[in-house]
Amino acid sequence: MRLGNPARRGGILTLLVVIALTIFAARLIDLQAVRGESLAAAALDQRLRTVPIVAGRGSIVDIFGEPLAVTVEARNLTVDQTLVTDPTAVAIALSPILRMDIGELISRLTGERRFVYVAKELTPDTWRRIEALRLPGVFSEETARRIYPGEDLGANVIGFVGADGIGAGGIEYAYDAVLAGTAGSLTFERGPGGRVIPTAQREQVDATAGASVQLTIDRDIQHIAQSAIAAQVASSRADSGTVVVMDPRTGQILALAEAPTFDANSAGEAAAGDRGNRALSAVYEPGSTSKVMTIAAVVDQGMATPYSTFTVPSGLKRGDKVFHDSEPHGTLKLTLAGVMAKSSNMGTILAAERIGGRTLYEYLKKFGIGEETGLNFPGESSGKVPKYKDWTATSFPTIAFGQGLSVNAVQAASVYATIANDGLRVQPSLVAGVLNADGSVERPPAPVVTQVVSAETAKQVRAMLESVVGEGGTGTNAKIPGYRIGGKTGTAMYVDPTCGCYRDGVVASFIGMAPTDDAQLVVAVSLVNPRIGRYGGELAAPIFKKVMTYALQARQIPPTGTRPANLALTFGGG
Amino acid sequence: MSAFSTTDAIARPPAPGRSRGSSYWRDLDWVLVVAAIGVTIFGSVLVWSASRADMASANDPQSYLKRHLINVVVAMVLGYVASRLDYRWLRAYTPIIYIVSVLLLLVVFIPGLGTSIAGARAWIDLPGGFTIQPSEFAKVAIIMMMAAILAEKRDVESEPHDRDVLMSVGVAVLPILIILVQNDTGTVLILGSVALSVIAVSGARRRWVIGLIGGAVIGILLALQLGLLQSYQISRLTSFLNPAGEPGGATYNSTQARIAVGGGGWTGYGLFEGPQTQGKFVPVNESDFIFTVVGEELGFIGSALLILLICVILWRAIRIAMKADDLYGRLISTGIVAWLAFQTFENIGMTLGIMPITGIPLPLVSAGGTSMMSTWIAIGLLENVRLHSARSSLT
Repeated sequence: MRLGNPARRGGILTLLVVIALTIFAARLIDLQAVRGESLAAAALDQRLRTVPIVAGRGSIVDIFGEPLAVTVEARNLTVDQTLVTDPTAVAIALSPILRMDIGELISRLTGERRFVYVAKELTPDTWRRIEALRLPGVFSEETARRIYPGEDLGANVIGFVGADGIGAGGIEYAYDAVLAGTAGSLTFERGPGGRVIPTAQREQVDATAGASVQLTIDRDIQHIAQSAIAAQVASSRADSGTVVVMDPRTGQILALAEAPTFDANSAGEAAAGDRGNRALSAVYEPGSTSKVMTIAAVVDQGMATPYSTFTVPSGLKRGDKVFHDSEPHGTLKLTLAGVMAKSSNMGTILAAERIGGRTLYEYLKKFGIGEETGLNFPGESSGKVPKYKDWTATSFPTIAFGQGLSVNAVQAASVYATIANDGLRVQPSLVAGVLNADGSVERPPAPVVTQVVSAETAKQVRAMLESVVGEGGTGTNAKIPGYRIGGKTGTAMYVDPTCGCYRDGVVASFIGMAPTDDAQLVVAVSLVNPRIGRYGGELAAPIFKKVMTYALQARQIPPTGTRPANLALTFGGG
Repeated sequence: MSAFSTTDAIARPPAPGRSRGSSYWRDLDWVLVVAAIGVTIFGSVLVWSASRADMASANDPQSYLKRHLINVVVAMVLGYVASRLDYRWLRAYTPIIYIVSVLLLLVVFIPGLGTSIAGARAWIDLPGGFTIQPSEFAKVAIIMMMAAILAEKRDVESEPHDRDVLMSVGVAVLPILIILVQNDTGTVLILGSVALSVIAVSGARRRWVIGLIGGAVIGILLALQLGLLQSYQISRLTSFLNPAGEPGGATYNSTQARIAVGGGGWTGYGLFEGPQTQGKFVPVNESDFIFTVVGEELGFIGSALLILLICVILWRAIRIAMKADDLYGRLISTGIVAWLAFQTFENIGMTLGIMPITGIPLPLVSAGGTSMMSTWIAIGLLENVRLHSARSSLT
């Protein structure tokens, strides 16, 4: 290679440049023209992200619109671990705000993952405090938080949502589709660090907010009922207890309380048994409160009046079994009202025998026993009456005084609501309406109404129920001064779920109404397996009195000013 | 410095007794100047686009662009100075320039002064957020020093003495070794090809050229064998051979670069509209991978235009080298051609996935002040050689 001809050397250099240029041009055409579309598609695929826009979940409100469950704006705290240069410093900064352990925070901040949750459902204010620290790699995503302002207030009715924000119990579950609304979506292009590319296109489909559900529950009555039953369950050391408050004229349930209960804000920490709804899902043998159906059927069939007389022996043999009353006694001379007031098992059997098993069975079904309540509540159990054709010789007398069949607390309350409402049974309801986001209101269809017994029968039964609360009755603890009160005690043998047999345990209950001559409220109280105290008149009646007294005032129901029926309980000096 | 003054100067015959100053503007290679300014403006727009996403949340979103433009102005002033320096003065002071740049290369290793970027310890921190990369100045210094040695005392002879060739190899190898220790593999490759080109064009015997190529190959093999190169350097260098290698690893940059360029198609997404660019999928797309910005946002048409503009610069530089009337000027311009050509091909080639990935900027286009300054000094030196040739041919 001599110095030689500059033109030749220049030519070689130029040739090299031209060759390189040709290679570039070929490669550019290959990339941009031949493979351009597939590479552009690969690029788009890399950038496009579609995220759901969460629809605001509807509220759950009480009959007056007071909030029971609401959704508020919240933030989930996320981290891109690759952007955190000093996890310890970030953890020390976050720890006091999040009230989280520094070691736990460091482990979440350290690593190579680009998206990790640090904390969920922070308040917007907490996020603003974190944002002000300008910590690298720390981001937030919008989310919603379900809040139950009343904590355990109505929790067993309202239910709760799971970690995914989907209804997991109670009304939250049953009305999830209504409450949830329709999620929207946001499609956007983002860079590798997760940030949105500002110049790129965005496509947003707005979310439709969920509707709110208005319950028939009255928050204040619910509160009183809950605290009363909680106190009594605690002091009687019962397994559990329920209170149902109903408006017999509309079938609306004004309170559905139980104990023990749970805080819906932290449902995950509650025992599974406390998160359900015992008033609808736990069935029990009603015992003496069931006698009202038997006696109403006998009266309705015209086979007896409150004044009909029954000579009640000390023991009564039916089939292969001898029946007794709860307290031993010699031969008693009781009117039908007396049978009710003294809660005589044998008197009830004698009365029931006037109509026979098949007729009794038909009345029980008409009262809604063994039938669904129509509430469609998750986990509801409708109880059971054995089919008439399966009845044995002892079935009829047993069922007549309330054993051998099972009900839930709402069904039991509904029986008394039927008597209170002149024999007209109105299907119970818990939801008063659905309030759409656009302001329109959907009311549920009118409840199913059934005439179970005649108005005259109902009136006579109410008179007899008054004598339970009156002098010589089992339910004197339920008496409310000034008001005419009717009700029935129950102390039923309790089927121990561990063995499926009767043991010592009882269900102590009291179900009653007021005012008896213009009944506007029914309150049903039951306590399962109390260990201190035993009888319905002793444990449940005082709770009835407390809740009913408050409910009468809250609903501004005045005393009727009339005098109780004061029926004779015995005859012939018996 | 407008096109007007050019036509003006050509239209009128030079007046008698006209000063040297006016012949400077007349004899300047205006095609080279205009092409270089054009590429610089083109590059500034690309830097603007690439830095927008990074700067979106900064107090002054244009701060990155402003700093780049300051560098451009300083670089052009340096280029003007380089073009006006006296030829003999330049030759006389070349050893000092060379020694100063070698010392600057060593400053990088002083703790507190030197800075590493992407594994290469090749920068010196300056106040105000500016950094300088001494290896860029070393490119100029090596070319000048080699040219001075190989052209020494034998402008009329046909070939350089072996001793001179050996010396010129020595002045190239010393800074190359320092830069190798800085982990700046890309610059080492450029300097190697520059040194080889200068020696080849100097008229040295063929055995020198073949021997040096052989030596370089053996050196590379030894470096691989003895583990002198870090494994990431090897994987970066070889990843272009295996483009579907592990994602997120060495091939990530290469894959992202090709996706961005390919997505541009014929006409591109439009300036500031390239989603992969604005989304910062391609790393360092304001410097090493700046070609992805033009590829995605301006498409084939914009990319081809940029390559053509750079080729105009190379064409004029080759022309100056060919027409140089002395060996010194010819070797300087040849070295500069080899430098700009190899760096351009390497940079665009790695972006297109046909060359190994090394961290070097695209001359006149990428952000990076020192590269901009050294390239404009090179443009100035090319003009200096041309002006010298033009004057000698007149006398």
